[in-house]
Amino acid sequence: MAQPVVELDRVGKTYYNGDVETPVLFDISFSIVPGEFVAIVGGSGSGKTTLLNLMGLLDRPTAGVIRVESQEVSQLDELSRAKARRDRLGFIFQFHYLLPEFTVLENALMPCRMRGREFEKSQEPRMRELLRAVGLEDKLKVRPPQLSGGQQQRAAVVRSLANEPAVVFADEPTGNLDSKSGRLVFDLMKRLSRESGTAFVMVTHDDNFALEADRVIRIRDGRLVGAPAGVPSGAIPSR
Amino acid sequence: MLSYFIRSVAFRHLRYSVSQSLLTIGVVAISVLLIIYLRTIIGGTQQRITQNTTGAIPHITVEPPERTPVGAWQLSSLGLDTDNLYVGEVVNLPKAREVIEDWRLWLPSLDAVDPEVATVSPIVTGQAFMNRGSRRQSVRVTGVIPERHNGIVEIEKNLDAGRFIGMVSGDVVLGQKLARDFGLKLRDKVRLVGPEGLTLNFSVAGIYTTGFGQVDDGQVFVTLRDGQSLLELGGSISSFGIKLTDLYDAENVARRMVPVFPFKVQSWVVQNPNLFRTLDAQGQTRDLILIMTTIASGFGIGSILVMVVTSKYREIGILKAMGATPGEIQSIFVLEGLLLAFIGCLVGVPLGVLLLKGLAAIRSVGPDGRVDAPFLIEIDPMLLLGASLVAMATGAVASWFPARKAGQVDPMQVIRGS
Ligand SMILES: Nc1ncnc2c1ncn2[C@@H]1O[C@H](COP(=O)(O)OP(=O)(O)OP(=O)(O)O)[C@@H](O)[C@H]1O
Ligand SMILES: [Mg+2]
Repeated sequence: MAQPVVELDRVGKTYYNGDVETPVLFDISFSIVPGEFVAIVGGSGSGKTTLLNLMGLLDRPTAGVIRVESQEVSQLDELSRAKARRDRLGFIFQFHYLLPEFTVLENALMPCRMRGREFEKSQEPRMRELLRAVGLEDKLKVRPPQLSGGQQQRAAVVRSLANEPAVVFADEPTGNLDSKSGRLVFDLMKRLSRESGTAFVMVTHDDNFALEADRVIRIRDGRLVGAPAGVPSGAIPSR
Repeated sequence: MLSYFIRSVAFRHLRYSVSQSLLTIGVVAISVLLIIYLRTIIGGTQQRITQNTTGAIPHITVEPPERTPVGAWQLSSLGLDTDNLYVGEVVNLPKAREVIEDWRLWLPSLDAVDPEVATVSPIVTGQAFMNRGSRRQSVRVTGVIPERHNGIVEIEKNLDAGRFIGMVSGDVVLGQKLARDFGLKLRDKVRLVGPEGLTLNFSVAGIYTTGFGQVDDGQVFVTLRDGQSLLELGGSISSFGIKLTDLYDAENVARRMVPVFPFKVQSWVVQNPNLFRTLDAQGQTRDLILIMTTIASGFGIGSILVMVVTSKYREIGILKAMGATPGEIQSIFVLEGLLLAFIGCLVGVPLGVLLLKGLAAIRSVGPDGRVDAPFLIEIDPMLLLGASLVAMATGAVASWFPARKAGQVDPMQVIRGS
């Protein structure tokens, strides 16, 4: 069996704001294997975004251990986490947040640009190809404000793959789109995941999308649903 | 440090907020222009005033120490000899007329006292009457060694006729106005009567116009020896005049000389306290204006960057999520501040030079009928550089705080859409 790209081992998260403690996640254990397409579902406030932030190295757990490609990353400092995100992880957000001063192609290449001009150059053909694959071939030199919401989000999907990440984290990537555009973007993510062998972890409220994922992780009140405490692979396969 | 990523994002921000950028660049350019303009104009005016004041006088004067005679009855106040009774009338004794007798011994050490010393001129000076026919006028006789004294006040260059350097015993060199009043031409004879009544005959060897009133109007130059004879000073002189290479260093040099020489050493600064105070106040006003404009331009850059950072809050969060470090984000905005300042300099410095060149070309007719430049303008490359550096430093400081805020944006907050 392939090495998991992300492993969570009894991960917990409590927010501390002054004297106020807000426990959000409890005892979460599961792993994600390369190329897997995983949907995270759960009610509002159940802790989905918090979980995604922990896996995406944007935040640190207050209990347990997280490993990315077998590296223990739970307690890395801010700089090391930034570097790990830059090199190994991709992100898609509910809002595209493309930089309005740069063209679509430049935006897609932005994660590469952070690693230097040479690297950006080397990735440009691949990014052009991907943008063509998502139907943006005639928008390469256009700046984002001139695109529709769906087109912008497709560009953001391509951007998340720029640094050839091990795993892409997407927090409600279709939440801000009409159902047609949302479907387009979702199909795109699935296709690119399959073609590039990149694992995707997507938070969604749409059960239709969840049903089409390789696996669904359900959260209720900060716990995995159907996972008795201490069983590591507590996720329920969707089919 | 300034990677391709940092540079490209900073450049784009400026390029796509043209009107904001232009506004800031304008503010910086004006402040640079003001620095260059004010420093040059006021510097020039000050230099002109100072030169007019010090042009005809020594930068440092070395005189005999003042000795006021003390009456025997005053000894008690000095703590001396108190047990005596004095009988008699109180008279005020005149100040003893002091001279420097052994000046030949001091001259070499004065010449060598400081590398700044350009000229040392032994001087005898006193009042005398000038007679010719029925005309008689009081003049100030100055006996000098012309080769040396020409370094104190430029006579040779300002001669209308005759010579100054190379004058010999029996020669007198005087100003154009005096010559006209007496109807004197070169080689005309004139008589000088000393304070003790001694009369000597002179022939006019040179006539000059220096433009300095105190030299042109009532002063006549004779050789040092003739001066000593006329004023009956024997071999003594009245004072030494010293000219320095840098007149603004006079007070320092004078202070260094005081403990070394048994004389009264005074700089022009001490002798012209009002001038010095005026120049000082003028300089302070100028500096205050410059500090204010610099601060204003700093606020200009700072507020623009606060706006940019606020409006880019989401993009900054996303860049950080994608792996940009706080340092990189901060560098982007500091670089923007520096670029705005730099472009401001690129605009402000040529504008300043242009303005000064324009002012320097102005000519006006003075009250004496001479055509002259009203502004004394010297464009100092160091000033251009200095003004630019001030603007750049202001840009760096002003952008530092907004940039730091940008570096600290929390990507998680952006992701949550709050
Ligand atoms: N910084 C924080 N400090 C304290 N509590 C927080 C903080 N961030 C989130 N929470 C709380 O943690 C819980 C989980 O939040 P989270 O955003 O992970 O939920 P979610 O499942 O993503 O919800 P939604 O579907 O609405 O996006 C919520 O109750 C929220 O109020
Ligand atoms: Mg959420």
